[in-house]
Amino acid sequence: MNNTFNIQRFGLLLKRQWLEFGKIYLITLGVAAGVIIAFYGFSLYGLLIGERDFSARALNFREPLFLIFGFLFITVIASSYFAHLGQKPKAIIDLLIPASTFEKFLAGLFFTTILSSVAFLLIFFSIDLAFVSKLRSVFPDWNFTNMIGTKPESMIIYFFNENKPKEFTSIYLIVPFFITSIFLLGSIYFNKYHYIKTTIAVMIFSGIWGYIIVNTAELVFKGRVAIYRNSSIEVDNPKLWAEIGIFCLILLLTAIIWRITYQRLKEKEV
Amino acid sequence: MIKINDLNFGYSKHKLLFKNLSMQLSNGHIYGLLGKNGAGKSTLLKNLAGLVYAQSGTLEVLGYNPAKRQPALLQQICFIPEEFYLPSVKIDAYVKANAAFYPNFDHAYFATLLAEFDIPVGQKLINMSYGQKKKLIIAFGLATNAKLIIMDEPTNGLDIPSKAQFRKIMASALTEDRCIIISTHQVRDLDNLIDTVIMVDENSIALKASVEEITNKLCFKRVKEMDDTIIYAEPSMAGYNAVMPNFHQEDSKLDLELLFNAVLAEKNKLKPIFN
Repeated sequence: MNNTFNIQRFGLLLKRQWLEFGKIYLITLGVAAGVIIAFYGFSLYGLLIGERDFSARALNFREPLFLIFGFLFITVIASSYFAHLGQKPKAIIDLLIPASTFEKFLAGLFFTTILSSVAFLLIFFSIDLAFVSKLRSVFPDWNFTNMIGTKPESMIIYFFNENKPKEFTSIYLIVPFFITSIFLLGSIYFNKYHYIKTTIAVMIFSGIWGYIIVNTAELVFKGRVAIYRNSSIEVDNPKLWAEIGIFCLILLLTAIIWRITYQRLKEKEV
Repeated sequence: MIKINDLNFGYSKHKLLFKNLSMQLSNGHIYGLLGKNGAGKSTLLKNLAGLVYAQSGTLEVLGYNPAKRQPALLQQICFIPEEFYLPSVKIDAYVKANAAFYPNFDHAYFATLLAEFDIPVGQKLINMSYGQKKKLIIAFGLATNAKLIIMDEPTNGLDIPSKAQFRKIMASALTEDRCIIISTHQVRDLDNLIDTVIMVDENSIALKASVEEITNKLCFKRVKEMDDTIIYAEPSMAGYNAVMPNFHQEDSKLDLELLFNAVLAEKNKLKPIFN
């Protein structure tokens, strides 16, 4: 028997975890959907009933809503996944389920990183689709001929069409993994008040890290000036290299945090 | 089945709960783990299940190190904790989600146990009483057909008929390849059930002996007056309930509570008898 990973056992574990975690998950998803609908409804109600005229700024609430609420949603889910291991009666049953620590950890990643991000994107997409389609049917005349050509374009654009990442796509993809990894670690590291404690820890850590970087940079570069001269080495695509660099850094940090989380799960005692 | 060698464990590094603890437990036995509150009964069981890690020493269960929590071993361990949590689902859903992890799970036996324990099948687990929940996890644990059954205070919360049912079911659950360890501070609940007594006291095993060995070496009887041969005695209605060396190979019934108190009060007198 493979004591590290078995696909059938992993499938059973996902099913079992859904029984335990699914209710919290669906409630959180329901709350998220409710809040997004409320925001859309509150912001667009006047337009939908024809009380106000459409303005390009009417849909500007979507970006902060997506970012702030998306962050809250995935972090709350991640922060609650291993939280029960802080409670003795729940921890005993969970740790003794005949699945490997690696499978239990992977199930955690599946629910907190993949499923939560996909679920949030899906509900945001669906709600945006519904409201924007309705808006388009209310304002069908908001088509105009753009200045360069003659192709008509609607001013009422679906959120994901408007905000499709044009560059740094890989970074947009890795960021949810990084954020959830931190809160997943917090859920197993702390026994109580996981979300608050993780947030405070992140703030302190970022503060210290920022302070060190700023002071180091000042120490290294203070009183010096940059000299630009022709170099034989030319970087073809600096943006691409910057993207690869940032992506690799975030990936490395995510992998380190995952490794620590796995170790904490492995060493968890009751 | 279980080999413990020089195990040192403590919740803090400076205060050890077990010092150089060594012991072997084999299959085909029901062990009664007794001890005062805080003596370390539950902690010893948690060590066996891999829920806590020892500072040093070795611990082997069915050839595995429980600290590694490998599925092959976890499939063979049924742990009934004193405090437990059950999700808000019906029995069927609970069994469907958990039974598949145990390759030897016996659904028919589980149904029989539920009927014997008189547990209503269609009810949600969250709506059950503590005693009903406890009986359910005992039934589930036994139906897994695990080789090692560990029970921490299993009779807590059970009513009197359920305690009798529990004893009956546990006695029938013992097979040659199974090892059952039951920890309790309610020693009378284990009367006529256990075949070996393990007593934990002051960082070590104060006594580990089979019921047969104990009744061969000690005699439990009621006496009218105290004398020098008596190791330990408690006043009763018509004299004293006493524990004394069984010099004349008399037959007597093991009084677990009396033995428990005798070990705690007169450990030094009893130790040479069992060594």
